[in-house]
Amino acid sequence: MKRRIAVVIFPGTNSEGETVRLLRDCGGDAHLVHWSRSVTLPEYDAYVLPGGFAYEDRIRAGAIAAHDSMMDHVIDGATAGKLVFGICNGAQVLLEAGLVPGTGEVRRPTAAFTRNAPVPHFVNAFVWVKLAIAPSRCRITASLPEGALIPAWSSHGEGRLAADEAHLREIEAGGHVAFQFAHADGSVDAGAVPNGSALGVAGLVNREGNVLAIMPHPERDGWTFNHPDRRRGDDILAPSGGAVLFKSFVEAVNQA
Amino acid sequence: MAKLDTSGVALRPDELRKIEAALGREPSVVELHAFDAQWSEHCSYKSSRHHLKALPTKGHDVVLGPGEDSGIVHLGEHNGERYGIVIAHESHNHPSQVVPFEGAATGIGGIVRDVLCMGAEVIAVADPLRFGNVDDPHSHARYVAQAAVDGISAYGNAIGVPNMAGDVYFDERFDDNCLVNVVALGIVKESEIIHSYAPKDADGWDIILVGKATDPSGFGGASFSSLTLDAADEDSNKGAVQVPDPFLKNVLMRASYAVFAYLRANNLTVGYKDLGAGGIMGCSAEICSAGGYGASIDLTKVNVALDGLKPEVIAIGETQERLIWTVPASITPEILRIYNEEFTLPQIAYNARAVVIGKVTNDKRYVLRHRGKIVMDVDIDVLTGSIRDELPFEAHQPGPAPTEYPFVTGVQLDELLERVLAHGDVASREPLYRRYDAVVRGATVIPRGAADAGVLAPVPGSPLGVALAVAGNPRFGHIDARLAAQHAVYEAVRSVVAVGAKPVALTDCLNFGNPRKVEHYTELVDAIDGLATAANAFETPFVSGNVSLYNEASNGKAIPASAIVSCVGALQDVSHVVTMSFKAAGSVLYFVGRPQEALGGSVVLDVLGRHEARLPLIDYAAILPQHALMQAAARAGLLRSAHDIGSGGLIVAVCEMAFPTLTRGHKAIGAQIDDPWQWTHGRVGNIEALFGEAGGFVIEVSANDVEAFEGLADDVEGVYEIGVTIGEPVLAVEDEAFDLRRLRDLWERPLREVYP
Amino acid sequence: MSERAVAINLKIPDNAAYTALTTLQRLGVDVTRVERSEILVVDFGGDDAALAATIERDEAIFNPNKHRLTVLDARAPRPGEVWIAEMGREKRYIGWRLIDKVGEPASLAALRMACTRLLCNPAIEKATFPQ
Repeated sequence: MKRRIAVVIFPGTNSEGETVRLLRDCGGDAHLVHWSRSVTLPEYDAYVLPGGFAYEDRIRAGAIAAHDSMMDHVIDGATAGKLVFGICNGAQVLLEAGLVPGTGEVRRPTAAFTRNAPVPHFVNAFVWVKLAIAPSRCRITASLPEGALIPAWSSHGEGRLAADEAHLREIEAGGHVAFQFAHADGSVDAGAVPNGSALGVAGLVNREGNVLAIMPHPERDGWTFNHPDRRRGDDILAPSGGAVLFKSFVEAVNQA
Repeated sequence: MAKLDTSGVALRPDELRKIEAALGREPSVVELHAFDAQWSEHCSYKSSRHHLKALPTKGHDVVLGPGEDSGIVHLGEHNGERYGIVIAHESHNHPSQVVPFEGAATGIGGIVRDVLCMGAEVIAVADPLRFGNVDDPHSHARYVAQAAVDGISAYGNAIGVPNMAGDVYFDERFDDNCLVNVVALGIVKESEIIHSYAPKDADGWDIILVGKATDPSGFGGASFSSLTLDAADEDSNKGAVQVPDPFLKNVLMRASYAVFAYLRANNLTVGYKDLGAGGIMGCSAEICSAGGYGASIDLTKVNVALDGLKPEVIAIGETQERLIWTVPASITPEILRIYNEEFTLPQIAYNARAVVIGKVTNDKRYVLRHRGKIVMDVDIDVLTGSIRDELPFEAHQPGPAPTEYPFVTGVQLDELLERVLAHGDVASREPLYRRYDAVVRGATVIPRGAADAGVLAPVPGSPLGVALAVAGNPRFGHIDARLAAQHAVYEAVRSVVAVGAKPVALTDCLNFGNPRKVEHYTELVDAIDGLATAANAFETPFVSGNVSLYNEASNGKAIPASAIVSCVGALQDVSHVVTMSFKAAGSVLYFVGRPQEALGGSVVLDVLGRHEARLPLIDYAAILPQHALMQAAARAGLLRSAHDIGSGGLIVAVCEMAFPTLTRGHKAIGAQIDDPWQWTHGRVGNIEALFGEAGGFVIEVSANDVEAFEGLADDVEGVYEIGVTIGEPVLAVEDEAFDLRRLRDLWERPLREVYP
Repeated sequence: MSERAVAINLKIPDNAAYTALTTLQRLGVDVTRVERSEILVVDFGGDDAALAATIERDEAIFNPNKHRLTVLDARAPRPGEVWIAEMGREKRYIGWRLIDKVGEPASLAALRMACTRLLCNPAIEKATFPQ
């Protein structure tokens, strides 16, 4: 049975088009929900927060959007066990809202995706991210193979996971590191990390496993035509590459 | 009556007299500033328009040529609908020299609006840039180079439009006059184009202003960019600082898309135009006069950021992020609702909103009221009509008879290659363009850097592709304005051909010095002639363009002649796209083109400290079949990779095809290049063959496809087998073997200094 | 040599300050105006004019067409102002100065509320309040 997925649009969001298209191409019943229609959010079964620059990242990335009334509904939904998937700016909003790693109170963040290091600039780069948890640890990744390597684009200036030592230990120990940056051969080391992210983190999951926040964009490598040098002769309009994560999400949503 | 104070305007005494004669009286203060803006070079093209008529603008695929805010070319069909690519090209040079972040950012903002107002979804931007000598980290040139890129990045990334093409050159002659050109692309169904004029039966329609609250920023902007930069005026330049707000623009764009959907659902034809130079006055006058109407506007209705603004500031100031609709009054409430309630503009930026400011009239007058008083009342066609400055130039003198230069000899290839790869015009541009989001919208097929042109698949569910490349070599421009302009077209066209696309249209921006100086103006006229020659030869029309004059510092130094061109191409199926990186060892490499002696303007000569006044020639009769071959080979899937030959020549092209294979996780692929004598037979020296910048391509063909390829190439002159790819990170040429990783490091380092 | 502080403000409209204002108001903070500054702390031995001139020479930080520079009396936030710094970066702050609805510098309580709710992420930033 198809559940309804809301792709949440804040003022300044900019990746909603390709996000909703890929969800649909992967079998999801996805709908754009605009900030002036936030009251309809409780009607949806799952939420996706796409990439962009909500409120132009003023003050801090995700800081203002976290207080938006849209997030009241997303927080309620997450607390009730609905699946929530945040990508890039969406991930930043989830951190500022305290939904990931989820080790503190709502809207009292215990970590941040902050200014890249050592070079504090926006960087656009193709990356690989590796599943760092058992697939079943997170309902959204449950259909992925162990150690899945997913292609994506890292396109951000504030993507470095940062927190004080105690919270970083907590993140590690609690199995919150869902994805790490990796090389094409699947190896994980500092050289694969484009933004200085602590623990090489590319994605975080909460305790309950229903909220996933990932910094790179799998949907930008989501169709075969997005990667002409890696797939020749296939149906270029078909979802592939990064779509594998979207497929896993949609399966989890429809099974719920 | 006090004499009108004309000290704040750039109008010349003869122009002031013309205005008085046309009005039959002295102009009011508001009228004076209005004509100052409309008759500025930037708005009126008074020095160039009559020469621009020489550019070809018609073609089978042209849906809309120059004349409105953007040009439109046919891309292809999908699901029974005809799709058009919307394209516009502009400059923002003077503001970027003074406040580079804001200047470059608002450049992107403006070009995006030019595409948006045609009813199109904005799908890409491109940025051809020219900066000064950035060696000194404390130089103004370095600051401009960094801050301008930051501005383009901050704006384009926030609105979610990918940067798909661009280039950059560094030359001390741009120290005082940087060039920031911008190009934007949009996609629209041809049946849904919205024009920049009030349509039929629009008498009595509402004029709706939408966007940012009007403030005093940018007052004097149009005439500011039509004057030379004088150091003494630095302080007064700040009145013209235009403030970007990409957050507001992001919301404005999406709100406008919602308005488009409403208009289409209700089959409504309206007018839509963006505000630029001349502000509310310029835009409202043009949208109405272009439809044969007049306009009546109440400035008191304009949403303002602060009280007490003078009427001329409200009317002519160039506050960013604003557009104007002309619509029947019956749909006004819905337009206002979409912007103000659904997209909550007033909450996005202070007093941003959509508001009715006046009416379209049928009396051909342009009337502005402020607080009940009429502050402007002129014939609308006089205000918007074209004016013309007939300026002197020299009929083109044939250049001096070409001097026979001896072939370059006695230089060590290894040292030369290393210095060429590390040259500012050859070094990897990745440190710069990785600051730009190249993949937002999910439609990117080839991101910038992976080939000579960026490629998108902009219609969801369709394999149609659009390619874009820019060109315009200032080292060539410094030597010969006319031939350099031809080379700009040639390079942009062949960059599009290199990815397997068919060139369909061109845009241009003519960046030149002071038109009132004969030698600078002559360069402009010559460049236009060069553009026309090349465009006609390639049968590719210009559909949009811009002119930026007075790029001259107060000491009289002008920039190199800079005709900057973009070429947009179409692909019926992006499956056939060709990228730049070598794909396999054991392939055959070909050079498609013609080796030439002339090294004028080349990087290799610059590295050797020599000068030559002779640019390579362009043999269109030979090139056209070469391009046809490239396209046929691409369609047949015979090109494993392809790269056009530009700065640094053939050997640099080979290196750039190898470098992407050296990253971790890839199998390293190098090349073995035959002694150039094998394909030049001594017609040119080896250095000329390896480093010459006459153009052409290096292509990689699988050994299995050689027969098919050579079959296609049978009748084509200028196809030479030059070597093979090998399975090691080595470039072997003549008797030498170069470590490609070492070469790549030298190539990657220089721009990382400027863009860490 | 002593530690001196300068504040650099935009003299063109500050979009970030405007958004901070509307958000803080929505969050219930008593504020009618927000000023945002970049605060730089430097070791300097000369007088105010010399300090200003030195900073103003660096184009990467100061452009007279859009910036205004104020030399501060103390290396501390002014009344109604909180300084936010990234952990480990103690010489460079963002200063947020809040004015309440009667036109006075915001109270300490209001500043703390503004920080907790919005201006400071304690996971990565430290807030310094006026004495």
